[in-house]
Amino acid sequence: MERSQELPATSDSTISVGESVMSSRTKRLYDWFDKRINISPLIAEAQRSINFALPSTHTRQNRSKIFWFGYPFYYAGSILAFLAILQGITGLLLAFHYVPSAVGDPGTPTQAYTSVQNIMRSVPLGALIRGIHQWGANLLVAALVIHAFWAFFRSPYRVGREISWVLGALSLGLALAYSFSGYLLPWDQLGYWAATISVQIMRSIPVLGDLIAQILLGGTTLSPVTLVRMYFYHVSLLPVVAIVLVGAHIGLVMLQGVSEPEEVWKPEKTGQASGQKQAGPLFGPFLPQQITPVLILSLITLGIVILLGAYAVQMPGDPANRFLTPQFIAPEWYFLWAYGLLKWVGWVYEVVRFVPPATVFGIDLLSAKVIGILVAAGMFLVLVLMPVIDRGDEVRVLRRPLKTAIGVWAIGLLSTLTLYALNEILSSYLSIPIDTMNPLLGSIVIVVPLAVAVPFYVILRRHAAKASAKASAKGA
Amino acid sequence: MTEKAADVPKKIRHRMNRRQFVQTIVSLGIAGTVVSFLSLLMSLLPSAGAGEEEGQVDNVFKYGPDKGTWYSDKSGTDVKLEDFDQVGKGAGVLWRGRYPAIVIRVDESKLQGATATNGLIALAASCTHLCCIATWHLDRPNEDVLFCRCHDGAFDPYNIVKDVMLNGAEYTGAKVIAGPPPRAAPIIPIEITDGKVAGVASDLGLYDFCG
Repeated sequence: MERSQELPATSDSTISVGESVMSSRTKRLYDWFDKRINISPLIAEAQRSINFALPSTHTRQNRSKIFWFGYPFYYAGSILAFLAILQGITGLLLAFHYVPSAVGDPGTPTQAYTSVQNIMRSVPLGALIRGIHQWGANLLVAALVIHAFWAFFRSPYRVGREISWVLGALSLGLALAYSFSGYLLPWDQLGYWAATISVQIMRSIPVLGDLIAQILLGGTTLSPVTLVRMYFYHVSLLPVVAIVLVGAHIGLVMLQGVSEPEEVWKPEKTGQASGQKQAGPLFGPFLPQQITPVLILSLITLGIVILLGAYAVQMPGDPANRFLTPQFIAPEWYFLWAYGLLKWVGWVYEVVRFVPPATVFGIDLLSAKVIGILVAAGMFLVLVLMPVIDRGDEVRVLRRPLKTAIGVWAIGLLSTLTLYALNEILSSYLSIPIDTMNPLLGSIVIVVPLAVAVPFYVILRRHAAKASAKASAKGA
Repeated sequence: MTEKAADVPKKIRHRMNRRQFVQTIVSLGIAGTVVSFLSLLMSLLPSAGAGEEEGQVDNVFKYGPDKGTWYSDKSGTDVKLEDFDQVGKGAGVLWRGRYPAIVIRVDESKLQGATATNGLIALAASCTHLCCIATWHLDRPNEDVLFCRCHDGAFDPYNIVKDVMLNGAEYTGAKVIAGPPPRAAPIIPIEITDGKVAGVASDLGLYDFCG
């Protein structure tokens, strides 16, 4: 990539495997290993890479502009990485005490359930560890959402980061698989019924649904077999996948550098900026300059997670009972939009008096759940395939009216669907009858995202037209 | 090890040399081994016989585990005809230890599409949408519907219609009047013996859509 050439080569030549810093005893130990397994080249390479300034940084050009506004977004990714490590550590500790067995009568505590209770009550610091794991998962998804939307708007795949993008989009699916499998483990009512709904949705995938459910879950309903499989995925299979996927994703950042603000990508500006400004103090070599803000933010995140984990940990609810659906049932907050989508499609059918035919081509093609699956799968596919769908080289958010407006619309839609998912709770909380609440929320789902996105589009389009007119005037 | 073209007699016109032959064989062998190992994934399918009913199964309905209802303290006991002393009274029950159902005393003059047995009808309570358990008068006390908490589906027990299960079986059940359920809630034929309410086990496949 051309931009990496403009950087001063950082201390490649000055690396000598630490003779000056090692005491003679350490040196002897080092030599002992080095003679046998020849680690010098490896160590030298490691030193070289951590002293290597990432190819480029956004602050070099716009430090003052982007500092306060941009940083939380730029660093969502590193917070994600930190939280993932935290989840690994706390998960490892929880695995010592958890028993993945759901054998027992419906409604009675199973071993899985009692072992979670045991972690909460008698294991020293168990409640704190579980609290951190629980809140860490929530914050991880929150950071992931921010990271994903930030990346979406900035279109990094247009400037040679397609592989990073696809790996990241797949990691999104990975995080959801993690949360799905983890939510079920306590085998309480909430986890059980949230999983039941997800499983039944999975089953209605046209043609392959039942087979997928049987292979992934060991049956078409939840059973002790399912719990063992979920546990296996959660602690064994997914971590391997995560290390590969996320490792490659982060490795690419090391290779390609932190994604830059759009201005740097305009050829005329790149030429002008090269070699004139030095990297700012925050963006020297990876160690220690680049890692410093990451560490600071990680410590702040750690503090927040520990506080939440210590004071707001959720006890498991009633033991799972397959014959009793709890009164208020909702998935975790980041799945609420999907839950809302199912309800909303049902409401739309009711309003337009549409009765979906029982089967089309032998499947419930038009039922709300299949529509829901198709919409969700379609959205995920579009996300993964963005590099193929969205070509060109303009990456500036304000110069891409349509894409930015679509992104804003998507945010609006996800939030209003989330609101719709809470219709029952909102109606009892605001004491508005459900028959008034549903049309109200139902129309909000249609109106609000459009009401936000359309003006966005109009204004940005005018802005973009003006800017390009100015540019062409300058060029002439 | 290097091969010279001159060493190979010209009349033997091999299409591949020995090295290529070994490479091909080894690659095919590895590929074959990998593919045959994939068949071990069969072990992930549910084992035959798991989840099948054993021995004699009682067809009598048992009261379900719903809390805060008139039948809460009878949970697990046989459902009796005498308990349903007024129209509109209904209970969440369990049938054959695995099928949740709702037994309701209906106003027979309003019932369409089916006949009640001693004033009672029974409907499978696993919602045809996503298998949550529908309730009677618990979430919607003033509406005579089977209501599903999960996605606000509702079935009308007074309007029994014909429908087709996903496996193609035709059946009759309570019509969907609200929400996303794709098909009617199947009716369970009732027989009454010694005052106990029991379901007639004819085609269990109809109630297995959630299992």
